[in-house]
Amino acid sequence: MKKVFAVALGILTAIGGFVDIGDLVTNAQVGARFGLSLAWATVVGVVGICVFAEMSGRVAAVSGRATFDLIRERLGPRVGMLNLLSSMLITMLTYTAEIGGVALALQLVASVHELLVVPVVAVVVWVVLWRAKFSIIENVFGLLGLALVVFGVAVWKLGPDYGALLHQAVGAHKPSDESWRTFAYYAVALFGAAMTPYEVFFFSSGGVEEHWSPQDVGTMRANVLIGFPLGGALSLAIAASTWLVLGPLEISVDTLGQVGLPIAAALGKLGLAVAILGFVAATFGAACETGLSVAYSIAQYFGAQWGKYVRPREAAFFHLILALATLLAVALLMTTVDPILITEMSVVFSAVALPLTYFPILVVANDPDYMGEHANGRLANALGVVFLGVIAIAATAAIPLLIWTRMGQ
Amino acid sequence: MTREMPNKLEGTIDGALELLDRQLLDVEGRMLGKVDDVELTQTESGLTITALLTGPVALLHRLGGRLGNNLVTQYVALRPSETNRSRPWRIVIDDVERLDSALHLRVHRDESLRRDVETFRLGALTGMNAVEPAGRRVGRVLDARFAPSESGRLVLRGLVVGDGHPGGLLGYDRRPDMGPWVVRRIVGWLHRHTCAVDLEHVQILWNNKEVRLAAPLREIRGPALRR
Repeated sequence: MKKVFAVALGILTAIGGFVDIGDLVTNAQVGARFGLSLAWATVVGVVGICVFAEMSGRVAAVSGRATFDLIRERLGPRVGMLNLLSSMLITMLTYTAEIGGVALALQLVASVHELLVVPVVAVVVWVVLWRAKFSIIENVFGLLGLALVVFGVAVWKLGPDYGALLHQAVGAHKPSDESWRTFAYYAVALFGAAMTPYEVFFFSSGGVEEHWSPQDVGTMRANVLIGFPLGGALSLAIAASTWLVLGPLEISVDTLGQVGLPIAAALGKLGLAVAILGFVAATFGAACETGLSVAYSIAQYFGAQWGKYVRPREAAFFHLILALATLLAVALLMTTVDPILITEMSVVFSAVALPLTYFPILVVANDPDYMGEHANGRLANALGVVFLGVIAIAATAAIPLLIWTRMGQ
Repeated sequence: MTREMPNKLEGTIDGALELLDRQLLDVEGRMLGKVDDVELTQTESGLTITALLTGPVALLHRLGGRLGNNLVTQYVALRPSETNRSRPWRIVIDDVERLDSALHLRVHRDESLRRDVETFRLGALTGMNAVEPAGRRVGRVLDARFAPSESGRLVLRGLVVGDGHPGGLLGYDRRPDMGPWVVRRIVGWLHRHTCAVDLEHVQILWNNKEVRLAAPLREIRGPALRR
């Protein structure tokens, strides 16, 4: 019974924790312009994150080593350092975007300007990262993030022609007023949003935090293989509801408020309140995860003690990085840059950095010394290699598409 | 806890692959750094691993070339009043309990580090050019192979020589069946000329940063695959 509860809790938090500011914004933008014709990109991204999160989780459970520890161990200090710099640049962008996202969500409620909210949010995030237990961070925000299921309810309430939606999704029928290059650009963005590198940094380090052992591999798999696809379904629900409400009106999504519009149209004030709760929880939870990922990765590169499972004074370096990263994020936001813009940048640059993270995981998951009988099987290897190919294509195409389409204009 | 792994200190290991950049854990399992470099000392049984080096100086040196040297100079300049700041921190090999997915020490991390003394480093050995008697460069030292001596200490037995960079074999030299197939074939192809050389055929010139082979490589080469 306890085991069932643990598995159920893990799956629920995986669903609620899957969506972050990048998924919210990108899916709503895509939904408004392309409907479900880019659903395939989300599906591919979700399968990809399942493959590599399972691998990194398995490595963490079997060897006790988290992802960045292994990246340096296998790639050496030079390539490892280059990898650290680029991955942290992107994860810092994501961290900044998430803190900005919380501020934007609170602005929807309080109508106080976001720049006044940002420092308050940052202090709260920092205090939570400093004082709260790991399980609290993961479970509370993961469960509250489930409020985003309201997007699924909205789709149902709007009562669309499901056949037409399915037809659009399966056939990848691009609306005729959009060009193929913006179509490709948003495909890469959706892929980057689903496969952000911080997810595996956080997931594998979380496994070490929770002292996973080889016996926990089954539970971990259930979380990943059920939770993440359902989280992906939530992403698709956001795109579908936005298409149904905003698509016919030719409204494009530039603010977080517009992401909530379909809910307001379908479910009224109460639905919108639930959606905003979901926004706050999802972005706040993701802010904690990205902030931790920055500190996890840097500490793991240098071998310094990290983790919430020891007292802060035993992991002083780790907590110093957490504080500095939070300060840096606030400083970035205080330049009055639009958090939505940072979000868009972070998902596209995520796509660029993906191979750096995922290739070493694939190699170590095959290492017999580390993994013994838990090494990758044929299926994991076949999927891993195929996805490395897909990742390489997305990474190469991302920057040229970004310039060519002027960020999807 | 995690899967039980055999203690690698009791068998043959490749230094760059299995020792460098491993996580250091103290007797209570707390983390205290990475194995940033390895100290080698000439003893009667040969070049022996006598200590592990850790800390910024050892790490910066391994970034290599002018960048590495410059960064070490800068690091020292940050606090010129400190004695021996350019020497990395050192953990004697007797304080090491076991090596598996991490390196486990027998001591507490508090005050476990000592300043290192002037000796040879594994990080300097890997990356050296390998030169035939005729003077032709045949590649780099990609890894160094150690085996336990009678005293139980790990002693240098041979070198892995080939093209590319230290650690570039990614562990695919240890057994012929490690997946995924595509990566194995690509690594195998990139390292088709890589081979192992016994230490008796090699002279290490530390100051010239090169190793001299006693005979042309094709006469002394052994298979890079360990088992």
